[in-house]
Amino acid sequence: MKLFIKFDINTICSLYLKQNLEENNVNFTTLGFGEIEIEDNLDAEALENLKTKLAPCGFEVVENQKSVLVQKIKDAIIELVFMDDNNNYKSSVFLAEKLNHSYGYLSNVFSEVTYSSIENFIILQKIERAKQLIIINEMSLTEIAFLLNYSSVAHLSTQFKNTTGITPSAFQRIIKKRRENLK
Amino acid sequence: MQKNALHILLADDDEDDRLFFKDAFEEIKIQTNVNFVHDGMQLMDHLMNQDNKLPDILFLDLNMPKKTGKECLIEIKKTDHLKDIIIAIYSTSSSEEDIEDTFIQGANIYIKKPSDFNTLKKIINEVVTVNWHYHTSGLNRDNFLLRLK
Amino acid sequence: MKWIPNFNSSNSLRVIFVIAVFILLFLSSIAYKHNQDLNESSKLVMHTYEINIQLERLMSAIKDAETGQRGYIITRNARFLTPYIYSRDKVNTSFITLKKLTADNEPQQKNLQKLFKLITQRFVSFENCLKYSDPKTYDKRKLDNHMFGGRILMENIRFKVDEMNDIEKEYLKKRLKIYDDEISLSPLFSISLFLVALSFILLAYRQISRDFERLKVFNKKLLISSGLISESENIGKFSTWQWDLDSDKIDFSDNQFRLLGLEPKSFAPNRATLLKYVHPDDKESVAKAIDGIVEKKNLPFVYYKIVRPDFEVRYFKTIGKLLTDQQGSKILLGINFDITDEHLLNIELQERNKELEKSNKELASFNHVASHDLQEPLRKIQTFISRVSDADKAVMSESAKNYISKIETSAKRMRVLIDDLLLFSRTNTTKKEFIKVNLNELLDNAESELAEIIEEKKAVIKTNKLPKLSVIPYQIEQLFINLIGNSLKYSQPNLEPEIIISSEKVISADYPKILEQSIKKFHKITFTDNGMGFDPQFKETIFILFQRLHSKTDYPGTGIGLAICKKIVENHKGHITADSTLGKGSVFTVFLPD
Repeated sequence: MKLFIKFDINTICSLYLKQNLEENNVNFTTLGFGEIEIEDNLDAEALENLKTKLAPCGFEVVENQKSVLVQKIKDAIIELVFMDDNNNYKSSVFLAEKLNHSYGYLSNVFSEVTYSSIENFIILQKIERAKQLIIINEMSLTEIAFLLNYSSVAHLSTQFKNTTGITPSAFQRIIKKRRENLK
Repeated sequence: MQKNALHILLADDDEDDRLFFKDAFEEIKIQTNVNFVHDGMQLMDHLMNQDNKLPDILFLDLNMPKKTGKECLIEIKKTDHLKDIIIAIYSTSSSEEDIEDTFIQGANIYIKKPSDFNTLKKIINEVVTVNWHYHTSGLNRDNFLLRLK
Repeated sequence: MKWIPNFNSSNSLRVIFVIAVFILLFLSSIAYKHNQDLNESSKLVMHTYEINIQLERLMSAIKDAETGQRGYIITRNARFLTPYIYSRDKVNTSFITLKKLTADNEPQQKNLQKLFKLITQRFVSFENCLKYSDPKTYDKRKLDNHMFGGRILMENIRFKVDEMNDIEKEYLKKRLKIYDDEISLSPLFSISLFLVALSFILLAYRQISRDFERLKVFNKKLLISSGLISESENIGKFSTWQWDLDSDKIDFSDNQFRLLGLEPKSFAPNRATLLKYVHPDDKESVAKAIDGIVEKKNLPFVYYKIVRPDFEVRYFKTIGKLLTDQQGSKILLGINFDITDEHLLNIELQERNKELEKSNKELASFNHVASHDLQEPLRKIQTFISRVSDADKAVMSESAKNYISKIETSAKRMRVLIDDLLLFSRTNTTKKEFIKVNLNELLDNAESELAEIIEEKKAVIKTNKLPKLSVIPYQIEQLFINLIGNSLKYSQPNLEPEIIISSEKVISADYPKILEQSIKKFHKITFTDNGMGFDPQFKETIFILFQRLHSKTDYPGTGIGLAICKKIVENHKGHITADSTLGKGSVFTVFLPD
């Protein structure tokens, strides 16, 4: 039997985080994606304990201030990309408003930490979403292009090809054959 | 950006290519730890040895003596503890059939060996960056397909 | 089996003849009967007449006796008694004759009996008269009585004779009437029958003469066609033979002998001679085929060699079919073809084909291996050059820097050449997997491949709806890339390139010279640009490998791009043409099968 499962990484993560923290009797409030405020001050040992608990699932406590900001930028971008009615937002405005910094500053910090631009990351995320939608195979390429705020299918195809090096149809074909191959 | 250096393994029988590769990694900003194997057999031995740390990215030449890159690819994808390694095919061939076939067999990245050192650096940089994004930004690695020229 | 003309009239003729013969037989039997009857009736007349005469004789004998007695009584002269004495014998003779004549008639016999009684009584009365007239015993009264009685008896006798005569006449009349009735039927009847028979015979005659005419015509046709057949056998290098399976007789046409290198009719063919001239290699298979004929009554195509008496080897093809004629006899018709010329030509062609295929394969693999293996060292050269850093260059002499840059340029050009060559050889060697794809999708891919140059040149590409076709996707994508790339490369300076791609369905019959006619429908896809164009005299040559219209310094290129296009279109059983007006633009037209 083969099931295609659609899931939301963010929900899973916050749920997992919540369960883990509650198990450790830590009182917290979620401030945003990947940002929590712990009400009591934990001592070094307790913090280290929490870190090791979260590590197996790839959770990492970000300590550097710039890294924290980058993580916030990423979360904001993911939120923007996975929002289905994002038509009204220009990404730079959205990020600046959301994070309370000028876009120039955000862009600089992001490049400094990740060696890539915010624009590239947005494109990467959009194409990632396009990939998911293509695999689910519920929407035509035209519908996907519209949903992701592309001016045309050609625009989406071109960006897809530029980002991944392959065309959307080749991507779909490869994934399909790969799944058949696994069986 | 990384606390630990990125583990890179290149399987290629061509000495010059290994040299280019090493130099390119030395020149990019990201901190890496690059290892080499000379053929397919050696690669599989290296991967199967529990003492060796598994690479974050494996660069795999298709045309290798003893065991071809494609054979290694299939074997790796069949081995439980190896199948999650990100694999970048690193080959001279630009045949569409080879490309699609290796993708289907489970490769994540296909790189046509460039004929320019700067291009090589650019490509390696891109591979590492995208790979990092996949690691850190909750992207689905099953959908990780990248072709670079 | 309708291969023999049908002369049906011979059957109807037989029927007509049989009827006519029966009618004639019937007529003659009637004539015979008629004759018999006539004979019979004349005999009857004679019979009646004889009885009549005998009765009259009887009568006259008695009268003679009476007259004689009377004369004796009067004269007493014994001479008068002589007739009386003889009359008794005469009466007896006549009586016996009469008895014989009326033997088959009972009433007459009875009458004759009565008559005889009367006559006997009359003679008794004569005796009595003589007795009583004798003077010695004379008694006048008794004499008178007997004389008178004699008179009455005489009358009775006359009466009886008349009666017998009447009966006989009546009988005759009746018999004659019967015959008359029988015969009176026949004259009209026999005449009409005769006429019928006559008309039948006439009809038969007409039919015969008609058949005869037809036979003459058929005969003529037969002569002509047999002449034509033997002539066409001669010209067409084939021959026929017939094998009558019932009588096991085999007939060869004249040309069969000639094909075997012999004079016509130089031997009498039979089952054994069929194999006589067959080449030893093929004897077994031909013998098997011949046995097959007898079993299956059929002969499929048999190919074999024969050896002529002068040891020349010829190649034969034979086929046979079983025919059944109107009489139901089975004849196997065989046709032999001398296919030596075709056979030799075929062998030669096959060999040439093999050679061609071999050299083609060698060429393709050489091409692939050469370009594939060549690019390895080239890549190294290029990479090593790229590793000569600016810092290294700073310490180099001017000429060394210049050489390095020249090496770089040449290596780059070699790279392009090898890439194109590889692409060209790959259009031949890769497996040709046809997939149904929307060509618009492939065009989109091609455009995104060329996105950089499209943007740089600000080119506009206009497309209407392209069809969904079964194609090799990579190759069609490559075709689009090459054609659009070509248009962009040879665009006019200071004019934004515009490429219009349109598609329509066409029928191959409209392009008999360029399209494969076995495929009915094609899609005609045209690429029209506003580029520099080229001299139309080169519209064929631009598709030839390594043909270039421009110097490589003006426009870098390998002269492989359009050759690849042509190869790709040929792989799809299509066709590509180009046309242009210098300075106005070019049109490339691709035909792809539906």
